[in-house]
Amino acid sequence: MAGGTVTLNHLTKCFGSQCAVDGIFAEIAAGEFFSLLGPSGCGKTTTLRMLAGFEEPTRGQIVLDGEDVTHLPPNKRKVNTVFQHYALFPFLDVRANVAFGLRYKHCSKKELNQRVGEALELVELGPYQRRRPAQLSGGQQQRVALARALVLRPSVLLLDEPLGALDARMRRTLQVELKALQERVGITFVYVTHDQEEALTMSDRIAVMASGRIVQMGSPQAVYDEPADAYVADFLGVSNLMDAVVRVPGNGSRPCTVTVGGFELNAESGAVDASGRVRLAIRPEQVVLRGYQESLANQIPGIVERTVFLGSATQVFVHLAAGLTIQALAGNTSEAASWPAGTPVQACLPPAALRVLPCDPAGEEALAEADNASEPVGTVSPAP
Amino acid sequence: MTGGTLVTSAAPDIARPGVRAGRIRRIRRIRRPSVLRGFVWLYLLWSLAPVALAILFSFNSGSSVSEWQGFSLRWYVGDPYYSVLHDPALHEAVIQTLRLAVLTTVVAVPIGVLFAIGVNRWRSRQASAWTFVMLLAFVMPELIFGVGIFLLLTNLLTFVRLGTTAQFLALVAWNISWPAIIVRARLQSIGDDYEEAARDLGASSIGAIRRVLLPMLFPAVFASVVLVFAGVIDDFVLVDLLSSNAQSQPMSVIIYTLGAHGGSAAAPALNALATVMFVMSIVTVAVGWAIYRRLTRGEQRRSGGLSLGPLTGP
Repeated sequence: MAGGTVTLNHLTKCFGSQCAVDGIFAEIAAGEFFSLLGPSGCGKTTTLRMLAGFEEPTRGQIVLDGEDVTHLPPNKRKVNTVFQHYALFPFLDVRANVAFGLRYKHCSKKELNQRVGEALELVELGPYQRRRPAQLSGGQQQRVALARALVLRPSVLLLDEPLGALDARMRRTLQVELKALQERVGITFVYVTHDQEEALTMSDRIAVMASGRIVQMGSPQAVYDEPADAYVADFLGVSNLMDAVVRVPGNGSRPCTVTVGGFELNAESGAVDASGRVRLAIRPEQVVLRGYQESLANQIPGIVERTVFLGSATQVFVHLAAGLTIQALAGNTSEAASWPAGTPVQACLPPAALRVLPCDPAGEEALAEADNASEPVGTVSPAP
Repeated sequence: MTGGTLVTSAAPDIARPGVRAGRIRRIRRIRRPSVLRGFVWLYLLWSLAPVALAILFSFNSGSSVSEWQGFSLRWYVGDPYYSVLHDPALHEAVIQTLRLAVLTTVVAVPIGVLFAIGVNRWRSRQASAWTFVMLLAFVMPELIFGVGIFLLLTNLLTFVRLGTTAQFLALVAWNISWPAIIVRARLQSIGDDYEEAARDLGASSIGAIRRVLLPMLFPAVFASVVLVFAGVIDDFVLVDLLSSNAQSQPMSVIIYTLGAHGGSAAAPALNALATVMFVMSIVTVAVGWAIYRRLTRGEQRRSGGLSLGPLTGP
């Protein structure tokens, strides 16, 4: 399907003095699966609602396929939404729900029947078309919501945490289905989620948001492997973050030398040319645990605090001599998985996996906020 | 009965529930003392007996309301002068009550519904002030309201004559709060999602109200219709204050004036009229309740939603 490019230009939405979305820039390509990822209250839902036309931006511009749609009402945009709680009309059966929007498309009865049939087939709900939404399972309701939006052939489909209300197993199945569906129909998907796994598995590109801003934007690999700051590193899966001080800043050929609690480490990735106080990040799966031995380069001795069996792997918490606890991921069959608490070990932190992140006060704040956030600011409506 | 013994000992799982049920029954007996049950029955008897007696004597074949002389429909249709059907005052009262009930319902419910929708989407301080105004009818004594309207119509707006028009205007004003409050509660439990979904799918804002909101509000609108209709049948204060002559006196007023001060009508005929009024109210609420149950069948019970709330209110 042609079209579906979206440009967000300095998009801002303030509720009173608080800005839920604070000057966002983004270019979304046609046919792209684009995710807005962030904790509740980061402004991702408000961004989506502005795209749909439910909120009027305070400042900025939304351009859809070259046309400025910033001030168009929702029914005049070639954009459709799959709502978090689906919002299926309870008094209509599945078929009538899917056909709802086609009434405004002025198509013939024959065309209407054909398109509804196709849409129901696309989501494999043909046999359920006479049922009411209340008679369907959560997963089926979700598909009806998809069919109801896709039948209108929008340029862009907006999805607001559409898998949020489903159980873990169903979520995993639908992630794969949703991605396959998106590739088949070729429509631009803008997907809002707080689940980093969902964003990583489905997206072509991810925008990580914090406090109304986009902190980092890039492919899942790029965002996961090269987080721009401690906030992104922490939000995209568990990461070990350590406070460190730079001894010798690195450059193109030389790694950066830092100290963590008196231990000297070399780090090769991230902002190696930084100086002063920085943070070091390393993913649990990149920490290598060995039995205690003479200290070598980039190793810190420690003792096993506890091990947690995760199913596919075992998580080992190690209290380092440097005065902090890090997590390591060990295979279930590896030696490390069977170590009892109190075992002295050597934690190897490979220079290539150690990432230097500049200390950013704003990022720190967002990190603390994300931990405390309980209320989704983006969806709060003004007091009645 | 060796077989029976064998079964119980061989299948203790079957035997045990019986034991447990017995225990539960004993607990229940302790928690429901017969004194309380007797008290409830006494209360029901005390409150319903006068009504039952009044209804019973409306079917008396004689003209006494204390001595039973046999069953007849004399006071409803049979008597050529004094029956509800033939006494013009009583006959007129039934029609006046129905006229006011229908007119008030037809006008007050749509206004109340629009009021609720309007206040619900109007998010400011003024909106909460208007919500308070909406609640006013519930806290203000009806007599004060009625006297206020009476003074207004007799002193200021003298072009509105007392009688049906005045009664109608007052009843509409008095009854708007029912649909407004019930529909508002329903709107709040529905939320904005469905309307936004309709807008997203191409409906205009009016279209979204018509195609999505109104069908979802229907149970609440229906409940309001029942309550307003039944409320008008029962109303006495407003209609009495604002009636002009015998022609504009509905059932409640006729029963009061003729019953308390005596008049041309025979006592059992008044009983018959009261029975007609009682049955009208009961039937309205009962039918309404049954239909409301059907309309909301299969609906998830949500917090803040109304199940029977609007129909079991005052």
